[in-house]
Parts: sequence; structure tokens; C-alpha cells
Amino acid sequence: MLTTLLAHQWKESRRSSVFGQSIAINIILGFFIAYFLLSFLVLGFFIDDLLRQAYPNQNPVAVFNGFLLYFFLVDLFMRFMLQDLPVLAIQPYLHLPIKKARLIHYVLLKSVPSLFNFWALLILVPFMVKILMPAYGIMVAAGWLLSVLLLTFFNNFILIYFKRQLSSNPKLTLLFGVAVVGLMLADYFGLLSLRIASASAFNFLLQNPWLVVLPAVLLALAYRLNYTFLLAHTYPEEIALKRNNAVEGGDITFLNRFGNTGKLIALEMKLIWRHKRSKSVVFMSLLILSYGFIFYPNKLYQEGFGMFLFAGIMMTGMFMFNYGQFVPSWQSGHFDALLTKQISPYQFYLAKFWFFVPTSLVAFLVTLPYAYFGWKVVAINLAACLFNIGVNTFVIFYFSVLNTNRIDLSKSSAFNWQGVGASKFVMMIPLILLPLLVYAPFGYWGIPYWGISAVGFLGLVGFALHKQMLNLVASRFLSHKYKIATGFRQ
Amino acid sequence: MIAITNIQKAYNGRTVVNIPELVINQGETVGLVGNNGAGKTTLFRMLLDLIRPTKGEVFSKGINVALHEDWKAYTGSHLDEGFLIDYLTPEEYFKFIGDLQGLSAGDLSERLAPFLDLFNGEILNQKKYIRDFSKGNQKKIGVAAAALSNPEILILDEPFANLDPSSQIRLKNLLKGLRYQKNMTLLISSHDLSHVIEVCERIVILEKGEIVQDMVTNENTLQELEAYFTV
Repeated sequence: MLTTLLAHQWKESRRSSVFGQSIAINIILGFFIAYFLLSFLVLGFFIDDLLRQAYPNQNPVAVFNGFLLYFFLVDLFMRFMLQDLPVLAIQPYLHLPIKKARLIHYVLLKSVPSLFNFWALLILVPFMVKILMPAYGIMVAAGWLLSVLLLTFFNNFILIYFKRQLSSNPKLTLLFGVAVVGLMLADYFGLLSLRIASASAFNFLLQNPWLVVLPAVLLALAYRLNYTFLLAHTYPEEIALKRNNAVEGGDITFLNRFGNTGKLIALEMKLIWRHKRSKSVVFMSLLILSYGFIFYPNKLYQEGFGMFLFAGIMMTGMFMFNYGQFVPSWQSGHFDALLTKQISPYQFYLAKFWFFVPTSLVAFLVTLPYAYFGWKVVAINLAACLFNIGVNTFVIFYFSVLNTNRIDLSKSSAFNWQGVGASKFVMMIPLILLPLLVYAPFGYWGIPYWGISAVGFLGLVGFALHKQMLNLVASRFLSHKYKIATGFRQ
Repeated sequence: MIAITNIQKAYNGRTVVNIPELVINQGETVGLVGNNGAGKTTLFRMLLDLIRPTKGEVFSKGINVALHEDWKAYTGSHLDEGFLIDYLTPEEYFKFIGDLQGLSAGDLSERLAPFLDLFNGEILNQKKYIRDFSKGNQKKIGVAAAALSNPEILILDEPFANLDPSSQIRLKNLLKGLRYQKNMTLLISSHDLSHVIEVCERIVILEKGEIVQDMVTNENTLQELEAYFTV
């Protein structure tokens, strides 16, 4: 029976609508995944060299082991944000003559073959083969790898259990986050070093490989914990993550002053706030605001303007790009209803425009503290913000009529490829390349600030002409609307 | 066959089902009628151990459905699309259900034969996943799958909803056939009063979670029901 159920699982993922998309998009996705996996693999092969450079005079094995506990903590945190146990998958089986115990084993085992549990192998295996095997022999190295893998699985099951518990108790979720951050800070300030603990634990394991039973026992306990909990709660309404059904987000009276446009914006904000996928787009866009910390401290980038401009475009436009790439798919669930209402395409896009403008401005304001890295950053971000408002919005709108894929708003957007078409990737090229192209000749002539001004000026021109631009977008929309509506109905 | 004692279900303190006693005998055909929100589906879900009652128990052949699972072997049910494994094709789904019951391929096609009329050539050999069928055709798949194992009791929620008139009539005849030829115990809910009295010999009216009438079908039942639901 378990094999049949797992065969169903395989069919489900293979037949998922994700793969039903065009070949082009599958190739691009495959390329990205292969790229990331390859990156990890390369990292695995050279991590000992990196560790020797970063921590000279220390044994790379000890350093690596020192980071392992952190790896598990960060892994757990990432899982907390991204991973979920699809317990509802057992719903269609509950009324059939299949033992509940079996269904629970199935749903738990189903969580094992996931990228979350195996990607670390790409780093661990090369490290084991290159460093551990020559030093400790194949058996000890294998024991070490097995222990780490078992602990990853332990993480997997512990997360499943706690996510189910904590989801109904936000206070505990907060406590967990605080605890993780607290541990990291304690290590940073040398109060309590998890690295030393981690290094000694895993070094001890390398001396006493039979200790591999310890993670195995932990794993068994975590599995048991889940099993007993789920067996006592096999009712869909109890095992499904508690949904907050209370009405969130009231009317924003301020927006009523702007007539129909204001009403449409208010509608859009409710849509965002009341759906998981749109909400997670907002949170991801907020994360991108910390992008500056990667670029600005870098000596190499500080000389030039190009990378800063890129960062500026990303930071002030991320929400617009992320959310905008799915316009008008966000409304796919009630698109026919919108078409039959007294809302002209011009109004529809006008509302989107006036929704994007403030988000970009707010993002610019939030990035102001980056002035710490020099006023140049502020100037570039202002130009980027203007360009996003005056030019990139229309690029997004231009491509929006190609979105004919329906999207499910109740799913998270992390690793969610639903509704992602090849046009999304094509769209990103002009969004990022255009400002750089505008800047490039000025940079070449050695008058970079003129280039930055040109980028900003172009944005202002676009903004001044927004009515004309939106009319163009609206007429383009009109010629595509049947195709869009047909796509959304599927 | 089925005995309900003191069953209650409350959400946030609001009672949606409250039935002190209901007994359904072997071979009986019971129609459950009631307006939206009367608690029909909630009652079915409790019968099938899909939600935990706030109070009370459901017994199937004397066994508490929440404590044992033996009743699943002789109970066929279809409440909504959630019962279907929607990424399978209908053939794969029927085969899966058949395998659970130990049916051979021959048995399977034999059991499906009475449904071919209802399927109207739109279900089998379509090379389509269940999720891509219309609501009406999904309902046909669910009802057929529920009846496939020749269960002793068949529980269907709104079997006539979403079906075209011809399909409704075909389904009605199929259900009557199950009742007379196989002596199957039927428990169905429906908003279609004329269909339900034709199939069922006993009608239970549910209102706000409580049984308000329990009657034997006769030639006046339709008028009585229409009178009851006229407000």
C-alpha cells in the first residue's frame, strides 16, 4: 500500500501544472536549478581551501564542524519560512478502506524526498571525499556523513511537528526566532560559542564513529512524535494549518478621495493582504531592501556606478517587479467579473500605476540610511526610483498582457512557479538593462553623474507622459483581453 | 446499520448539528433534505469520521466509527471533489479503488458497466486528469467510485447537483437499481425534492442542525415537502 501511495505522490508531482508549461520555461528553470546545484558542488570541492584562507593555522575539519550546528539552525529557520507538510494530501484517502496509521506513515515519508533534505549533500560529499576520507578512513567519514544526513532528517521532522504546533500560537513562533538570533548574537560577542560546542561534538563523533546511533535515535524520536500527534488528529479541519479567517484590513478611507482609482487601489491592497501568495511577495520585496549591504561595502563596486545603479533599480523596484510580473494574473480568479464591470482598461492600469508609484517612493525613503556609504548612493537610488516609476512601470505593463496563466493566491510564492511564463524572464532583461544602457555612454565618456541624471530625467519624462503611456497600454490590453480571459478560465 | 446517539457539533460555541438519536436500518433508503446550512454535510462528515463531533458518537454496525476503521470496508461515500484524487485519470482512480477491494480488471469493468450510460462516453478513455473534468463529470466519477465496491451502505451528498437533466434521471434509476437489486442501504442528501422522494423510502428534514421531521415516503410526500419549504 505504501508503495502505491508513493507512486501516487510521484504521479502528483510529475503531473503538477508546473511542468505543463512551455518547454522554454522548463529549460530556463532547469538551467537555474542546475546552476545553483553546480555552485554548491563547486563550493563543496573548494570549501577546504576557503576555510584555510579564512582561518589559517586551523584544521579545516574542525572549522567545518564548528559551523555545522549553525548550519542546522539556519536550515531549521529556512524550513520554517519555506517548507510545509502537505498533510491535506491524505484527504482523498480518508474515506477509503485504508488504515489511518498507513496514511500517516505515507504523509511523513512523503516529506523525505525533498530538495531541503538533500541539497547539503552537494557540499558534504565532496568535503567528505576530499578531506575526511584520506584523514579518517572511509568508514569514519561515512559515519560522519550519515550523522549529518540523519540530523538533517531530524530537522525535517522536528520542523513538521513544531510548525504544526506553532502555527496556532504566534507567540511561540516569535520566541523561536528570538532564540535563534540570540544564539547567533551570543556567539558573535563571545558570550557562548556554539561553534566551539559544534566543533567538539562533531570532532568527538569522528573519534567515536559508533555515536552515529545518537542522531538515529533522535530521528526516530522526532518521527514518533509526529506520528502520535497526527494519529490523534487525523481530521482535516484539525491537521490543516489553522487559517486565520477573521477579516483583515479594513477600509482605507484616505483612498476614497481618489474616486474610482482610489477604490481600485484599496481593492488591490485587500487582495494583497488577504492572500498568502501576494503577502509573501511583499515580504520578499522587503528582504531585497537589504541588498545594499552586499554591494555598498564592496571596495571594487564603490569605484564605479554600474553595480550601484543595478542595486538601486532592484531595491526601489523589487516590489513593482515581483508583483507587477503577475499583473493581471492577480485578478485571474475574478477577471471575468472585472471585465463585465464599468472599469475601463485605462482605469485598471491607472490604478496599478498609482499603486506602484508610492511603493517605489517608499522603498527609496527606506534606502536613505544607505547614505552612510556616501551621498552617491542616495543620488543613484533617487535616479533609479524615478526610472522605475517613469519607465519600468510601463515595461511591466507592456509585458503584462502576455500573462495568461491563472495563479492560485492561497499558495506561498516561495519556489512557486505557477503562472511563471517565459515572458517573465524576458521582461527582467529590459527592466535591468535599460537603465544601465542609458548610463553606459556617460560612464564611458567619464561623466558618470550626467549618466545618473539622464536615467532620472528619463524617468521624469515617462512620468510626465504617463497618461499617454497608459492609453497605449490600455489599447494593447484591449487587443489581448480575450486571450487573457480565456487563459484565466482554465 | 447506523446509529447516532446524542451527536453535536459546535463551531466557536455555535451548534451546527444537534441530533439526539437517529437510526438507519439495513436496506433502508434515507433522503436528507434541508436548506443551506441545515447541517447535512456536517452530519455526513461525522458519519464518515471526517470531523470530530463535539459530543456524542456514531455507530456503524455497533462499532464507533471514530475508534475503529472496519466500517470503511463496507461503506462507500462521495461528498465533494475533495474525495477524488484529482491528478489521476478516472481509469487510474477506479483501478486504485478496485485494488483496495481486491477487484480484478474484469471485475472492475463489470462493476463499471451499469455506469456507462451515466458516463455518456465522456468519462472513460478521455486521457484527461480528474481535475480537468467539469463539476458534473467529477460528480459522476465520485459516485461511480463510491458504488464500485458494492458497499453495504452508500452515502452521497447532493448527487444530483451539477448534473444535466438526462444524467439526473439516469443516476436516479441507477440508485433505485442499487436499492432493489443489491439491497444497498442508501443515505443521500438533495435539494431536488422530487428526485429524492423517488429514490428514498424515508425522508428526514434537517433544520438548523436538528431533525424536525422523519417520515415515510408516500404519494403525498412531495406536496408535504413543498408545503414545508414554502415560506
